[in-house]
Amino acid sequence: MNAADWRHNARVALAAFDVTLRMNAPDAFVLFTILVQPLAIAVLAMFMLVARGAANALFVVVGSGMTGLWSALLFMGGNSINWERWTGTLELMVGQPTPISVIIFGKNLAIVVLSMLSMVGSYIFAALVFHQSLAIQQPLLFVMSLGFTVIAYVTFGLVIAPVFLLSRTVQQFQNAMEFPIYMLCGFLFPIALLPGWTTPFSYILAPYWAARALHGTTTGAATLSEVVLCWGMMMALAAAYLFLSHWLTRIVLHKARADASLRLE
Amino acid sequence: MRALAINVRLFMEGALLSYVALFSWLQPVAYLASKVFMPLVQILFWTMLGTFATGRANASFFIIGNAVQLAAVNGIYGVTMSVGGDRWAGTLPYLFGTPANRLAMFSGRAFMHVIDGMLTVVMGLAWGVLLLGLDFSQANLVGLALAILITTFSTSGLGLLLGCVGLVSIETMFINNTAYVGLLIFSGANIPLAALPGWMQSISWALPLTRGIAASRALIDGASLGSVLPLLGGEVLLGAVYVLLGYSLFRWVERQAKRSGKLEGF
Amino acid sequence: MNPIEVEHLRREFKTHIGVIRRKAKTVVAVDDISFAVSPGELFGLLGPNGAGKTTTVKMLTTLLIPSGGTARVLGHDVDRDPEPIRKRIGFIFGGERGLYWRLSGIDNLRYFASLYHVEPAVARKRIAYLLELVGLGDRGKEKVEGYSRGMMQRLHIARTLLHDPEVLFLDEPTIGLDPVGARELRHVVRDLQAERKTILLTTHYMFEADALCQRVAVINKGRIIAMDTPQALKGHVSDLSVVEVEVFGLPPDVLERVRGMPFVDTVSLENLDSRQWMRVQTRRGAEAVPDLMAAMSGLRVGRVVVREPTLEDAYVRLVGGEA
Repeated sequence: MNAADWRHNARVALAAFDVTLRMNAPDAFVLFTILVQPLAIAVLAMFMLVARGAANALFVVVGSGMTGLWSALLFMGGNSINWERWTGTLELMVGQPTPISVIIFGKNLAIVVLSMLSMVGSYIFAALVFHQSLAIQQPLLFVMSLGFTVIAYVTFGLVIAPVFLLSRTVQQFQNAMEFPIYMLCGFLFPIALLPGWTTPFSYILAPYWAARALHGTTTGAATLSEVVLCWGMMMALAAAYLFLSHWLTRIVLHKARADASLRLE
Repeated sequence: MRALAINVRLFMEGALLSYVALFSWLQPVAYLASKVFMPLVQILFWTMLGTFATGRANASFFIIGNAVQLAAVNGIYGVTMSVGGDRWAGTLPYLFGTPANRLAMFSGRAFMHVIDGMLTVVMGLAWGVLLLGLDFSQANLVGLALAILITTFSTSGLGLLLGCVGLVSIETMFINNTAYVGLLIFSGANIPLAALPGWMQSISWALPLTRGIAASRALIDGASLGSVLPLLGGEVLLGAVYVLLGYSLFRWVERQAKRSGKLEGF
Repeated sequence: MNPIEVEHLRREFKTHIGVIRRKAKTVVAVDDISFAVSPGELFGLLGPNGAGKTTTVKMLTTLLIPSGGTARVLGHDVDRDPEPIRKRIGFIFGGERGLYWRLSGIDNLRYFASLYHVEPAVARKRIAYLLELVGLGDRGKEKVEGYSRGMMQRLHIARTLLHDPEVLFLDEPTIGLDPVGARELRHVVRDLQAERKTILLTTHYMFEADALCQRVAVINKGRIIAMDTPQALKGHVSDLSVVEVEVFGLPPDVLERVRGMPFVDTVSLENLDSRQWMRVQTRRGAEAVPDLMAAMSGLRVGRVVVREPTLEDAYVRLVGGEA
């Protein structure tokens, strides 16, 4: 890609970001996914973890926020190609000159940024209703970790969308895919509680490293080297996801052009 | 006598119809995903969170609570779909035009979901026994079966009410989803009722599930049916109240629609 | 080099029939077609529904991979080298799908302008110009969900012109439009042709092809059965006249009898509410009328008209009375 291509692609991603935000902001499903459900999870976790002491409030805020981030990405990002098919715009997306991954990147970015509201919502709620002191121990590292989290989630979303388009069977498990990721990524309890054989799965999921970095920096329990390890893993996985999604998207779109499934008849 | 026969037929037709509708959205793989896998991951997550918070000894509290909570999946989503389905198919005006007994038609629609909901709860408990070491050696199985039936019935009552709310509102799914997570907070599936503030406990007792979950826990622990009868009786009554509320709302919607002549809008 | 070159193009679809015992069945939608469109030409692909027009356009717009043969647009193969084609073509498929209903018309255009790499400053002017061109100048700020079908179709035209494409594919652009809307749209197409754009237009309206196209390929059951200028196509039937008979309740066996008469070339039937128009192409002209009447004796017959053939009649003859 030359400089002009980069500029065009950045502009397309931004346009997709803008359009996605404006189309989804007033949607009730989005409201439920990024605010109501994470808040409910926060309330539940707050009451349940009371037994472990008040220090858990920030842990719950971060953890429930992460659940909102994942659910939004799963349902909105996962369906982003399918959604274009339902709208009848998928043919236009394939027939235009920008790689479709660039568009999905912009869309996912919008979803992830919008879903940051999950964490904000849980934070405000915990502060107002539970009167917890919510001081982040390592604010600078926390904010930087948030930045890496965005990249980790956006690229992870790039892998999901073509998979759902490729396989209807996988898509039928979409609803059942919220909780496994909550568990495998250690959003609300450590993965040490899970059987040992699941650990490698956690390690290849960028949201796991995101949760570890965010939990570590809020409580101050993480050392700098541990946080940097999380960032490095997020970046490495993001690169792997980019590669994988590029390959998957090509296959999926070629298949769709071969068996005429771009349009929903 | 003839009226009774007609109503029985209406009931059966409603049951059959919603059963068919149920299985059109539940193809084999989808059924596997939503009826086998979904209960498992839901129970796993909350049980792990619960034991992380309060220790391994309490696992059965969370397993049973979340397994019985699954009744609400059918009660709410299944029932609202078969009630609200009319509006999507545009058949509601015809329904309003028939002289059929609405209550018979209505309960017929919910009936199959009660059966299916019971299966889901059983599936949830089976996962608990198989994977999480839930102890069933003391369980009062007959009493538990009754408790599950009653709980599924009462959540379906709530479903009927929500389904009718769905007839007047366009955000059916939002209402359903919110009701489901609301129940998760209030039903005592994950938070011991005593840990909730007083005003929240009052809400808990006004909702279905709460008594059913408490009774199921006691019955699996070996309690006699007699000792949980007050809980189960209350749950039946509550279910009946929700059915009546749903029914009244339906009649109200019907009257309003006929008065304003906007049947097509529904 | 011609902007569009098609050689022995073929496309099959595999479908499954039966619910329990599913059988794979191959349907040939486009069967060995070849044609070329020269620069600045407005070329029509004319045929009844299901003839293979849309499938052809989808292959040429890189949305569908051919099963056989080759198609080149602007010198690039549609299968192996789709990217450079996509930058330089525009396409619309008739109908109201393919727009973002929650966005305004302008926002839809802005989004597509960035997808097509139109510089923002250029896009702004171009969007204003195109909205005027398609007659949506004062409605651009409204959400598309409130548009009529015709407005959506015109917005599609504006969308496809954003990047000033060299080649345009218009698949049934007037389908479902009211007569006024369709006429306005034809004006727009004519203006585009005046700008020397290469246009491939599909339609099943004969008069539309006659009014707009310089050359027409008649396609039926996936094959091109005739390709020429509208004038020359009319020549196919210049030796014939058409007898139109208004008849009330024509039994199938009478229709067959008429079809079998030695002087009858082609018969087509148009069903109206309570009556039918039977159109008989014949070399005998008005002299055929007494024999036709004899064949239909006992039926209630309304008006009878003898006229010169039109392009439509040429088309009817080519597709064997099935239009």
